[in-house]
Amino acid sequence: MSATAISTSGSLLSGKPLRAVAAVILIVNGLFPALWILLTSFKTEAELTLKPITWLPHAPTLQNYMQAFADQPLLIFLFNSFMVALLSTALTLLISVLAAYALARLNLRFRGLIMSLIIAVSTFPLVTLLVPLFETMRALDLLNTWTALILPYTVLSLPVCTLVLTSFFEGIPRDLENAAMIDGCTRFGALFRVVVPLSAPGVFTAGILAFVNSWDEFLLALSFNSNPALRTLPVGIQLYQGEFAFPWPVISAALVVGIVPVAVLIVIFQERVVSGLTAGGLKG
Amino acid sequence: MKFARLASLLWCGAVLASSPAFAETQLKVYLSSQGQPAVWRKALDQFEAHNPGIKVTIELGGATSDLQAQYLNTVMSAKDSSLDVLILDVIRPAQFAAAGWLSPFAGRDLQSYLRPYAEANTVDGKVVALPAFADAMFLYYRKDLLDKYGLPPPKTWDELAIAAKKVTEGEHSQDLQGLSFQGKAIEGAVCTFLLPYWSQGKTVVEGGKLTFDRDAATKSLALWKSFAEAGVAKKNISEVATDDTRKEFQAGNVVFAVNWGYAWALSQGDGSAVVGKVGVARLPAVAGGEQSSCLGGWEWGVSAYSKHQEEAKKLAEYLSSPEVSKFMAINGSLLPTYAALYTDSEVNKAAPWFADAVPVVRTARARPVTPRYNEVSEVIRTTVNAVLAGVTTPADGAAQIENRLKRILR
Amino acid sequence: MTVTSRLEQVAERVETRRAMLSRLLDPDETTLGALLLAPAAVLLGGVIVYPVCKLLYTSFLDLSLTSGAPARFVGLANFQQMLEDPVFWQATWNTILITLITVPGALVVGLGLALLANLPFNIRWPVRLSLLIPWALPLSFAGLIFAWFFHSEYGVVNDVLNRVGLPGAIWFNSPRLAFAAICLTITWKASSFMAMIILAGLQTIPRSLYEAADVDGAGRVRQFFEITLPLLKPTIVVALIFRTIAALQTFDIPYMMTGGGPGTSTATLAMYIHQNTVSFLDLGYGSALAVVMFILSMCVTAVYLRMISGREGAR
Repeated sequence: MSATAISTSGSLLSGKPLRAVAAVILIVNGLFPALWILLTSFKTEAELTLKPITWLPHAPTLQNYMQAFADQPLLIFLFNSFMVALLSTALTLLISVLAAYALARLNLRFRGLIMSLIIAVSTFPLVTLLVPLFETMRALDLLNTWTALILPYTVLSLPVCTLVLTSFFEGIPRDLENAAMIDGCTRFGALFRVVVPLSAPGVFTAGILAFVNSWDEFLLALSFNSNPALRTLPVGIQLYQGEFAFPWPVISAALVVGIVPVAVLIVIFQERVVSGLTAGGLKG
Repeated sequence: MKFARLASLLWCGAVLASSPAFAETQLKVYLSSQGQPAVWRKALDQFEAHNPGIKVTIELGGATSDLQAQYLNTVMSAKDSSLDVLILDVIRPAQFAAAGWLSPFAGRDLQSYLRPYAEANTVDGKVVALPAFADAMFLYYRKDLLDKYGLPPPKTWDELAIAAKKVTEGEHSQDLQGLSFQGKAIEGAVCTFLLPYWSQGKTVVEGGKLTFDRDAATKSLALWKSFAEAGVAKKNISEVATDDTRKEFQAGNVVFAVNWGYAWALSQGDGSAVVGKVGVARLPAVAGGEQSSCLGGWEWGVSAYSKHQEEAKKLAEYLSSPEVSKFMAINGSLLPTYAALYTDSEVNKAAPWFADAVPVVRTARARPVTPRYNEVSEVIRTTVNAVLAGVTTPADGAAQIENRLKRILR
Repeated sequence: MTVTSRLEQVAERVETRRAMLSRLLDPDETTLGALLLAPAAVLLGGVIVYPVCKLLYTSFLDLSLTSGAPARFVGLANFQQMLEDPVFWQATWNTILITLITVPGALVVGLGLALLANLPFNIRWPVRLSLLIPWALPLSFAGLIFAWFFHSEYGVVNDVLNRVGLPGAIWFNSPRLAFAAICLTITWKASSFMAMIILAGLQTIPRSLYEAADVDGAGRVRQFFEITLPLLKPTIVVALIFRTIAALQTFDIPYMMTGGGPGTSTATLAMYIHQNTVSFLDLGYGSALAVVMFILSMCVTAVYLRMISGREGAR
């Protein structure tokens, strides 16, 4: 969908000053917390306890960033988070594309039941599975590996991705697929050469959802990977906290380092994220 | 096929590598990420030098005692054998021993250690862990301000309140608080509750039985609440955690502070506004009671699931030895667990304040010793927090603690 | 045997192989379905179903690792204990309350943000970035950041209140204010995703509908309620259900902001489960609590499934 074709009259408001106000509201709401952390990351610990509090740093310093990188292997945390999220996204997409195709295209006898099961299973809070999952991972000798996180993260996103993709696949005309099969494609061929490419926005949306889910997760990452070389970012950030101390400026610096890559990704892909959702992905 | 052969080759290699004829023993020590791992590493290097054939690696756990406990609980309840030697907060040995996670040191005599540590590491007559380093809660005070107003360090909480009022009123400073202590629902709040409670001669648990005294508890909670109400402590005291106390004291905004030993070195370091102006004393008593402090510190335990029991015990013994205790006192300013080290000239040169600390550590009392300490702690700290936040009254709070403790320690 | 017949034999074998292969690649519907769903089933089975079964079993045991005693079957005793446990009731009530407040809250705020974001901006990326950043921010980060925002002395919230002449509050000192701060944070975090989904929905509504309404002389408010909202309904329903399930599992934000305090007044069920399992090692009771949470989630799921199947029936 191109930007020019987007309907605008659905909004209650229009006009230039209103647009300016709207932009300010949106940006303050969305970016202020991140901005505040950015400002804090340039302050010294002494400045933080001044009353009344300061908004702009009095004497901006990069010391916190240097300490953030010196105290903990921050780049390794980032790399781990990124790789775990990427690999689990890939696995989620592969598995959910297959499952969604079956649910969207085949005349399965228990289709309703299978759908219900997938959704029902997804509602079980992972918090509650911590101990049994830990035991399972240990039995499989997977503790302290990326796999220990990739598997549960895949499960975390599988249901929602399957739903998104199912509804996308339902929107692809069967004729196209049939034509491909007449041309000598197998069903799998038709799936990966016709259906998936045509559902690209949906696949992308599902992928983004899966990626953010993995990127976000804290509790399992904390419990399953204790080796510092394998820790992910949300867990790594906690390590800056002391037995008693809570060094806010350094934690802020680490948070900024954690937020920036995602922000960059979002700026690059923002058009696609929204258009992917637009194409009806989450209509169930 | 190829893969299977490769795998079996690797497997054989691994078996060969782990057989004693070929290789060294790998030990893993669990440490707090903020517990000066770099300094401990030096001590471990020494151990490796004296014990060829044993290699020791460090595994860093969560930053706070709570986070570490959560992590260790997960690992140990899955009977994981990857950790050999564990550093444990002084409140944990009883729980770990009851769960069967520690392997006891048979026939070990703890008499050479400070008495509270000998007791804290003995569960049902068995030595379950060895002391790593000591700690206790101290009363930090502004020597310069007390001198200015001709006040001695207070012996009772009432004296403290009067002295605090006198100083804060005399100084006319909006930012100056009389007293800072821990009111947030953290482990430190358990000690907050216990200090005046113990001072009335009461105990919480004796020999596994609940000996809770509701009146003494009410009095303790009411004392802290009265500090907040009278303006001796600040209004948002229920938000204050250990390091907030440290930071505010260090910024020169507090006359009296209740805190652990770690605050000393920081208060005399860079960026502190109170260098040379700080005194350390025993914590006050309630009127007519005895002064008491809360025992802190850490211990070395050997995991019952460790596959190298003998070597792991050797390592724990080494880490708990007077030599390492001295090394850590000088290089990490950690309080020693041996009385003699407090008068050691090298130690005193590195940390002169240890001389003031030793009577406090010697008389410090251990928090309730029970396998279900985590639950006891949770009940006490949330109630202290609730009372200070004005959610419950001291009397109701004491009743709640009693009711919930009865259920936990039935 | 002649060379030709051997060749024929080989050709025949190749032919059967190819047939087998093509059957493998092009099986009948049921086999194919099973094949396609197998990976998902294996994964869900291993990571969820097996641990859940274990959990269900444990919920009938007296299994506390701190007692050192072996597990003992106690029937429904854990569930009975729950009935008399004030913290359980408080945590459950808080969880329900958080759900009831933040789900509609996130919807209303999200709808507002989406309507604003749907204006014809010349440069679109800053607007989109500001919708996407709160969504991509890990919950644990959001909890940390907002805990700092609401700090009574050093927080920016009180500073702003003071600047406009209002007294600041000690947010985490009062159950109500602490609860409000948590709900506000969750609403903030959740509304951005809601806004994105709604924005996506808004952009699929054909312009012609509004043009026709303009011709009919319908005002913008009427257009909103008669065109926009009805057409958005399916999108919103799905978003709401996922949001509800997530809200029932609220953990990170209160964990980071208040740790459940003051007292236990802002503890949630997920936090209490975590505490009982990981801190208290009371696996029996923790599992029983988890079962209750599972039942709560299943109720929401049931509503969801009914809505989906209802729509499919109408198709």
